[in-house]
Amino acid sequence: MSKSDVKIIHRKNKLKAKAGGEGGKGGYIDPRAVARGQASIEQQEENYADEVQIILTKIDSAWDDLKNEQGDPKKEKQNLSTLHNYANNIKDIAKTFDYELMSYFGESLRDFCEKLNVANPVHQVIVKAHIDVMWAAFKTNIKGEGSREAEELKIILNKAIEKHSKA
Amino acid sequence: MEIDLNQQSKKEQSGTAYNLGDFKILVVEDSPFIANLLGSCLMEMGVGSVIKAGNVRDAKDKILSNNAMTSGQNIDMIILDWLMPDGTGGDVLKWIRGHKNASIKFVPVVICSAYTSTELVYESRDLGANEVMVKPVSAEKITQRMLHIIDHPRPYVQAPDFVGPDRRRRTLPFDGEDRRKNKPEVISES
Repeated sequence: MSKSDVKIIHRKNKLKAKAGGEGGKGGYIDPRAVARGQASIEQQEENYADEVQIILTKIDSAWDDLKNEQGDPKKEKQNLSTLHNYANNIKDIAKTFDYELMSYFGESLRDFCEKLNVANPVHQVIVKAHIDVMWAAFKTNIKGEGSREAEELKIILNKAIEKHSKA
Repeated sequence: MEIDLNQQSKKEQSGTAYNLGDFKILVVEDSPFIANLLGSCLMEMGVGSVIKAGNVRDAKDKILSNNAMTSGQNIDMIILDWLMPDGTGGDVLKWIRGHKNASIKFVPVVICSAYTSTELVYESRDLGANEVMVKPVSAEKITQRMLHIIDHPRPYVQAPDFVGPDRRRRTLPFDGEDRRKNKPEVISES
């Protein structure tokens, strides 16, 4: 490797200048503006139910497409990616507003998609179990993971995974 | 989430209140809902301009159309989701750091992901991310990442197998023999 192959570049701090900062002193963002930013995030919770319903419907549709278009590797890859992304979206949105149970199911489905073989009937049952408990959590508006209803839904999912993984 | 205004006001005594009105930030996020959430949060925090891209291709187009020209206002910072329908945030980051145009190559990038694995953090770092932010997003997390980029910019390392901010966040004292055969060329932009 010649000498000029590795460069360490100290760039001019244009961002600091743009923000009105000076010298080596650190700065801050107005805490009132930060509070307004956080309030704007929290305000979106009123749209949570509508958004989750839309994504769950898309998950239903993506799952149907994935099952129905088996055999076409290109379509299968695309459908699986779609299902994976929607599961991840649900996890993101639910976690933002502390819907821990929905976030748990979204993450579980997303992670399962990473090893999913749609031709395997056992895997199909497990995906369907995820979708069913997500709809149930949505319709009963369960937020946290600690309630009896939440525990029951988690048990239903985990039993389905356990039973069919062994089959 | 509550913002600790008392703690924040202590910081006010010793620094400059940053004005983000001239900042332009690109939010790359495939979920329109999360993109709007991030966008409205940034605007409320005083960021002058927020633009959005919903996938890898759209992100590259927006970066090119804003930063490839010498005139006009460049994107100052990118908040980049990892999982997208047509690729990953890693694909965009690799493209950015490999670009010939300096206003694209060196743009600060915050990876924003729901994945919490250390592998993702290492991969982001090794592809040249400036910061990593784990979802769920909050105004406080965004503030911390922005302030770190503004107040503690690391020099960029450009090597055959890596372009990005120096991966060493701290310089530890070393009084041993320097055995490097090829010392890096140090460039300071004026």
